[in-house]
Amino acid sequence: MAQFLQQLINGLSIGSVYALMAVGYSLVYSIMNFSNFAHGGVIMLGAYFGFFALTILKFPFVPSFLVATLGTTALAILVERIAYKPLRERKAPFLYFIISAMGASILLENIVIATIGPTFRTYPQIFDRSPITWGPLAIGRLDLLMFFISAFCLIALILFIEKTRIGKAIQAAAYNIKACALMGVNTDRIILIVFGLGGFLAGVAGVFFGMKYTVYPQIGNITTKSFIAAVFGGLGSLPGAVLGSVILGTLETLVAGYLSSQYRDLIAFVILIGVLIFRPSGIMGRSMEDKA
Amino acid sequence: MKRAIVSLILVLALALVGCAGGAKNDTIKVGWFGALTGDQAVWGENEFNTVKMLFEEYNTAGGIEVGGKKYKLEVIGYDNKGDAQEAVNVVKRLTGQDKVVAILGPNASGNAIPIAPVLEQAKVPGIATVATNPKVTVLDGKVKPYNFRVCFIDPYQGAVAAGYAFDKLGAKKAAILYDVSDDYSQGLREFFKTNFIAKGGEIVADESFNGGDVDFRPQLSKIKAANPDIIFMPYFFKEVALSANQARELGLTQVMMGGDGWPSDQLISMGGAAVEGSYFVNHLDYADPAVQDYKARYKAKFGKETELNGYLVHDAVLVLVAALQKAGKANGEAIAKALEGIEVQGITGTIKISPETHNPEGKDAAIIKIVGGQYVFQEKYAAQ
Repeated sequence: MAQFLQQLINGLSIGSVYALMAVGYSLVYSIMNFSNFAHGGVIMLGAYFGFFALTILKFPFVPSFLVATLGTTALAILVERIAYKPLRERKAPFLYFIISAMGASILLENIVIATIGPTFRTYPQIFDRSPITWGPLAIGRLDLLMFFISAFCLIALILFIEKTRIGKAIQAAAYNIKACALMGVNTDRIILIVFGLGGFLAGVAGVFFGMKYTVYPQIGNITTKSFIAAVFGGLGSLPGAVLGSVILGTLETLVAGYLSSQYRDLIAFVILIGVLIFRPSGIMGRSMEDKA
Repeated sequence: MKRAIVSLILVLALALVGCAGGAKNDTIKVGWFGALTGDQAVWGENEFNTVKMLFEEYNTAGGIEVGGKKYKLEVIGYDNKGDAQEAVNVVKRLTGQDKVVAILGPNASGNAIPIAPVLEQAKVPGIATVATNPKVTVLDGKVKPYNFRVCFIDPYQGAVAAGYAFDKLGAKKAAILYDVSDDYSQGLREFFKTNFIAKGGEIVADESFNGGDVDFRPQLSKIKAANPDIIFMPYFFKEVALSANQARELGLTQVMMGGDGWPSDQLISMGGAAVEGSYFVNHLDYADPAVQDYKARYKAKFGKETELNGYLVHDAVLVLVAALQKAGKANGEAIAKALEGIEVQGITGTIKISPETHNPEGKDAAIIKIVGGQYVFQEKYAAQ
């Protein structure tokens, strides 16, 4: 029983990393209807921004965190302006957006390899490594912090979308961006805000990922998992992305813990494919209405 | 190309000098090859320098006695640029044109494997230095008649770790975490497992991950529930540091153990307190008293520190000299025969070449412990 609870804690902790990344995918998808694969690259740079703020600028943790998140917010907007805006203006097919996104992702990765270098780096130790124990159960301080900050960011985001005027506009744009523009909403600004929010979350995810594991140019690859979690939960739905991530994280952990770690990805993904066969729009996805 | 021509001229000049002096009959020619240019040039230069230094020392002392007659030693070295094709070319030249009786090197498994047919055809033995891949000397269960080496092979480290954990650290129950996508890791794990069980120990958890994974907590939680005495982690330092940190976060307090994939500055900076008190297996320790004399002689002559390769080529020279003396004649075929079963006390341990595998079976490995963020040599240890 204790082992089951411990595995559940592990699963939730891995799931919360996926969730932070998955929400960024879902947010952009809800407005733009394409998967922003450059998101992984932005997360990777967020990890580097935080790392350099802590080590070279020698900032304390909170200012470093701000440097990283503001940096990725700006970067995500920059990617939108350079890689997607020209396509939007020419009303290019969605396939072009996806190719442009992959290009941006490869570009970001290789810029880092060429300038910073391909080797991995380690964050200085900020939080106590000793775990908080409760009977036979143990949870890392960083995991706990990460879980609460993820939850806080996600709740704040959902409140922002539900309760504010800009949030209303985002919802309207997600429903039908053309009609929204006809109603006098500046959709270009809405897109900018959505990319900015996605970039901010990428910064949060990047810093925590870097602190928990390490920083290297291929961090973006890990976002494949969170992208799948987002699809599983229902692309375009924020609660769906969170739920999909938590389910994927827990599923992976339980398969690794009770069957075999070699079958982890195999079984987890077979289940995901099964779900998608019966619910092609994911657990919480509704095909067109109410995406944000 | 220019370099090749220059070295060719030099070799020819040397040969001429040799002829002119009429001293050809009392000189034994030995080949060496490795990388003198490119990424691995540091190691190649280090090996070549060591061979030259040792031969010079033998010659100053009057040479070596083979079959009742004193001979001087001469080394002919070529640069293969770390390239496998070039390795075959230089071995052809050494055996066909220079008529060497034996070849020292190369250091890389990728260069040592393709030269086997050339050596076999020319009946000239080759002694590899740091080529640890099992296929260098044994292919498909058959030993290659003219390939030998002085370093232990990858899987052997697993056996050493198992013996040390059981006999010296008193561990009865072991858990293993390994990288299922890596040959090196799989080899170490397999040999650790069989040896630990053969000693009477029990493997209570045998968990794997895929290369590139960063989270090991599901596997580690399973290991925690199995409550082992020791955790064997045969993979490279990045994953070692990550998994060690996560293990400590989950409240695992067991001693950890690994192989020669561990030593790195990054391990200490990333792993910190988590890897403190852990053990790993290495080829030798630079602080080991047995290597100090060679280390000092090398530094005095060349003005810089020797690399890992130097220690192993040093022992390859000792093995070759012993084989020459045992054979009683400077002939490739006789030397190859003499190498089988030879036993030499080298600076990296006792080297006993097995006739079945041409590997130094039961060679001492160095056991290193991490204490206060430093690698501290514990003792030499061989798998029983």
